[in-house]
Amino acid sequence: MDLYTVLKLVWAGLLCVLLIGLGLMVGMDMGVGTLLRFVGRNDAERRTALNIIGPHWDGNQVWFILGGGAIFAAFPTLYATSFSVFYVVMILLLFSMILRPVAFEYRSKVDASTWRASWDWAFLASGFLPMFVYGAAFGNILQGVGYHFAWNGQYYQDSSFLSYLLNPFAILCGLMAVSLSVFQGGVMLMMRSENPIYSRAQGYARTGALVGAALFAIGGLWIRHVRGFVLLEGQPGMPANPMQGQHVSMEAGAWLHNYVAHPVLWLLPVLGLFSMVAGAVFVSASRPYLAWWTGVGSWVGTIGTVGAAMFPFFMPSSTNPDQSLTIWNSSASQYGLICMLVVALIFVPLILCYTAWCYYVMGGKVRPENIINDTHSY
Amino acid sequence: MTTLLRIAGLGLALVVALLFAVFVGDQGPWYFAWVVGTVMIVLISGAGAILFDAQTDNTQEGEV
Amino acid sequence: MDLINPSVVDLSRFQFALTALYHFMFVPLTLGLTFMLAAMETVYVVTGKQIYKDMVLFWGKLFGINFALGVATGLTMEFEFGTNWSMYSRFFGDMFGTPLAIEGLMAFFMESTFVGIMFFGWDRLSRPAHLAVTYLVALGSNLSALWILVANASMNVPDGAHFDPETMRMTFDSFIRVVFNPDAQAKFVHTSVAGYVTASLLVMGISAFYLLRHEHRQFAARSFRMAAIFGIISTVAVITLGDVLGRMDYEHQPTKIAAMEGLWHTSKPPYEPWIVAALPDDAKQESYFEIGVPYVLTPLVTHSFSTPITGMHELEEQAGPRIESGITAVAALKRYSETHMAEDLAIFQAHEKDMGYGFLATRHAPNQDVSAITDEELHNVVEQTKPDILPNVFVTFWSFRLMVFLSLYFFVIFAVAAYLSLKKQLERFPLFLKLCMWSIPLPVLATEFGWITAEAGRQPWTVFERLPTFMSASTHGVGYMLFSLGGFTLLYSIFIAAELYLMFKFARLGPESHGEHDPENGTPSLSVIAH
Repeated sequence: MDLYTVLKLVWAGLLCVLLIGLGLMVGMDMGVGTLLRFVGRNDAERRTALNIIGPHWDGNQVWFILGGGAIFAAFPTLYATSFSVFYVVMILLLFSMILRPVAFEYRSKVDASTWRASWDWAFLASGFLPMFVYGAAFGNILQGVGYHFAWNGQYYQDSSFLSYLLNPFAILCGLMAVSLSVFQGGVMLMMRSENPIYSRAQGYARTGALVGAALFAIGGLWIRHVRGFVLLEGQPGMPANPMQGQHVSMEAGAWLHNYVAHPVLWLLPVLGLFSMVAGAVFVSASRPYLAWWTGVGSWVGTIGTVGAAMFPFFMPSSTNPDQSLTIWNSSASQYGLICMLVVALIFVPLILCYTAWCYYVMGGKVRPENIINDTHSY
Repeated sequence: MTTLLRIAGLGLALVVALLFAVFVGDQGPWYFAWVVGTVMIVLISGAGAILFDAQTDNTQEGEV
Repeated sequence: MDLINPSVVDLSRFQFALTALYHFMFVPLTLGLTFMLAAMETVYVVTGKQIYKDMVLFWGKLFGINFALGVATGLTMEFEFGTNWSMYSRFFGDMFGTPLAIEGLMAFFMESTFVGIMFFGWDRLSRPAHLAVTYLVALGSNLSALWILVANASMNVPDGAHFDPETMRMTFDSFIRVVFNPDAQAKFVHTSVAGYVTASLLVMGISAFYLLRHEHRQFAARSFRMAAIFGIISTVAVITLGDVLGRMDYEHQPTKIAAMEGLWHTSKPPYEPWIVAALPDDAKQESYFEIGVPYVLTPLVTHSFSTPITGMHELEEQAGPRIESGITAVAALKRYSETHMAEDLAIFQAHEKDMGYGFLATRHAPNQDVSAITDEELHNVVEQTKPDILPNVFVTFWSFRLMVFLSLYFFVIFAVAAYLSLKKQLERFPLFLKLCMWSIPLPVLATEFGWITAEAGRQPWTVFERLPTFMSASTHGVGYMLFSLGGFTLLYSIFIAAELYLMFKFARLGPESHGEHDPENGTPSLSVIAH
């Protein structure tokens, strides 16, 4: 394999890690947001729930920004095309994502029940909607997206946004992402709260894990009938240009080809399913820390399953399959990928160190009485 | 021994800082100016506050 | 090739300008206030006086309200390149995406992680450790600005990337040249210190408000002193760097500098006046009611008394041959993309540096296809394309002037403020204090005008002389654009209302204590602001 191919693969792998990190860390905060109105029955309880993720949501949200930035830098054509193709959905996602920081910062600064209730609804919307869109995007990509390119690289959209929203398989994937986030958010609440928040969170976390497992299994059966894509011609080391040098065919059930060729890949869906069931068990047994780590397994399993099925596709085109975006034809240049790799090797370990340090400094249970007495709490 | 290590550590930091200053000062003089200038602005405005304390005779009623 | 609907391009531009200008209402304050907080906390750690901690807590509260909106609206910006500028992102993303990603990895992560500790970690960290965290937040927010401006500078002065006909996009080839792009350097320092000015005037203005009401006097006077000194040095720096940027434009973006100065005809040094006010007419390509100061323009822009500055008419004439050559380049490129013949590649490479001008001619070509231009039509197309190389002169000219006038005003107000504060005579001049208070929003206006100058002046390009703006947008329908534009307007209006409400509320409420707690006794002055 030449260097360029290796770099493309490394970055595809890193993108996978980012997507997992995004689902896990941002999903956790969004789960808390979604659950806020349900685990907290009065204002003090809701503030307790918010302050559990209070010091960390901002850092976690950066996963989202980092995800966007990494796609832009490492796979610019994918960034340019996917964000535009899913325009209406992406804008909805953006609206809900920009509501969240404001909701955190402003909710508890005014002591009026309508003010706070409005922001609580904002938390629900900005927790549920982005996770749903995140999952649904995977659902849509698995089925292929309608777009093509002109000679100079301008993309043209061939189907309306309604087909991305009103699409049963995408809805299934969206709900699955929401369940995982509810599970992770519930577990986080359990780790740092006491009754009554604890027991309510426990119930929601268990439901989240079980629903997630069920939807994952249904999706697995369904995918056999979904039209997949097969790369017939296209070199891994090709210049990153989706307009030429590639031939792709469409075929129902093609997403299982990689699994047939490499049965070891079946470990990924097994890991996902097993983790979700184990998560429900640990939650019931009041072992939130173990449950949190099964959440990691669930995300690795699900995103890994999708990635293994689609490899080497990123976003297949259903209207002009030859111009489908793959790892090989949508990446940055070799120089760009090396640059980004060096930067990532320097900064990612640094980020992990100081994030861990922040969790260490801010550790411990959060109680309603600490919040009332703290000037800076949310 | 710890003193020696500390001196060695400080020496290393000094060398790194010097190399950084030489490189950035050469390639990006305005970046260098920003680093020096910002430190200067922070310190001078801090000095202004400390000067204020020195000017004040500890009565709450004096002119400000 | 069919062109994007022009009204979609306009709506995309409008939406980007709206969201960027809105985002930039909050950013300068973050850039400056973090370093002011660091300065205050430094004094607290050095002297141990409680009043300086109160200052950090109070101004930190206002910082937090502002920071949230800066973060939220910044999200929009990062995604908008993909959602609305698809062609631009694909064409330039190989290079442009890198600084944006580094911004996330290096700066934004640092800023966002430590900002939590800065707010919540007072009782959990030693004083020096907390001070270090505050400095990291300040450094992080300014490094964020650094990478964004590195990215922005590469649109204005595309350095460190070249066009590759195999991938149909700009290929990244030098990280060092991108980071140390002189335009990026000057832009970053100019923007960062403009943030210092904004924050200084906010702190000074609110302190003046307390002094006027004789409330929190000790607190307000110290804040005022620090802000005045912070502000005066920063204003000097902002003006110096503004001058550097002007020369940078003179060297790299002649159309921008000519539009900024309203210079229709090449200047006649040394007499050429600097136009203080005029009414530029873009359609007629001349200015009315010009009022100028003679002998100023040449030394101001070129730092010499004899170098002429090329005017817009002359720039148009010079563009003629480049447009012609660009049309040849684009036509060869299109043939090459279909046939991969070495001769087409050779023709393209011979005319490569003018490719952008060929794209610019697309709008006037038959069927929007420059390869279909016949020899008879060529002259006509070139003539029609010539005026397109100029930005909107009225907007560029006036936003530049308003920014300059405001910065001179800041210089005066900070100089007087620093003098009066050092003399401890502030309360003898209530009118001046009122002036400080009412000036709070002006730096925000000035920074917005700065952006408009820089970005309107870059037109008609997104990547200067490489990719025209009208080709860069995504191919959405008008309905999509109205949906997103309506949503942003609604959401952002709610945000600004909530922000102003909270800012006024907490500014009126004032600091919780005024240093009456003796720090030696260790009584923390924590009380409840938000019940």
